[in-house]
Amino acid sequence: MSPPLGPDPVIEAYKKDVDRTLLRANLRRTVTERIEALIELQKLADEARRAGKRAKPNR
Amino acid sequence: MTDFRGLLEALSAAKVDFVIVGGLASTAHGSARLTRDIDIVYARSADNLKRLVAALAPHRPYLRGAPPGLPFLWDDATIQRGLNFTLTTTLGDIDLLGEIAGGGRFEDLISHTVELEMFGLACRCIDLPTLIHVKRAAGRPKDLEVLAELEALLEERDDR
Repeated sequence: MSPPLGPDPVIEAYKKDVDRTLLRANLRRTVTERIEALIELQKLADEARRAGKRAKPNR
Repeated sequence: MTDFRGLLEALSAAKVDFVIVGGLASTAHGSARLTRDIDIVYARSADNLKRLVAALAPHRPYLRGAPPGLPFLWDDATIQRGLNFTLTTTLGDIDLLGEIAGGGRFEDLISHTVELEMFGLACRCIDLPTLIHVKRAAGRPKDLEVLAELEALLEERDDR
């Protein structure tokens, strides 16, 4: 294992945009519940992708 | 879609020595980001390679993105010759990693893991500080948002 890395100002800048409400909600879940939420997110993403493919362009 | 439960059950039933890393580890620690595969670091001992082969063989592993019909044999000799494999299976995608940047091999990582219960299975998962460490060591720009979320998770968890 390589030695610990110090704080990175770029990551700190990105951190300002993290939705911590979502993270706190996840931390209240069990690990299995977190993975089940991921599976639901996958289904949603797949359905959105299929909908995009089915969509006809507006003329 | 990846059958996370099915893949974890197959690995656990065959008693494969492995550590979950990558996106699924992020999810296990509380990340809200979408991931589609399982990344594991597996032990390279001869016995473990046999167990890994036995675990995935029923699920027809093949090189992800490669054209069909290649002479890819799923056996321990193949794994022995390589190190990292990005595979597709009938249960979904899985990346088998012999080592990872900043974290090393299974034997280096094992003391930086936590045992987490996933679908009733006790699974070894890279701990959150080490996950952050290896993602930073990988140095991929696409990981910056992920890293920000993981570091925020660490802060939130420590505040609890």
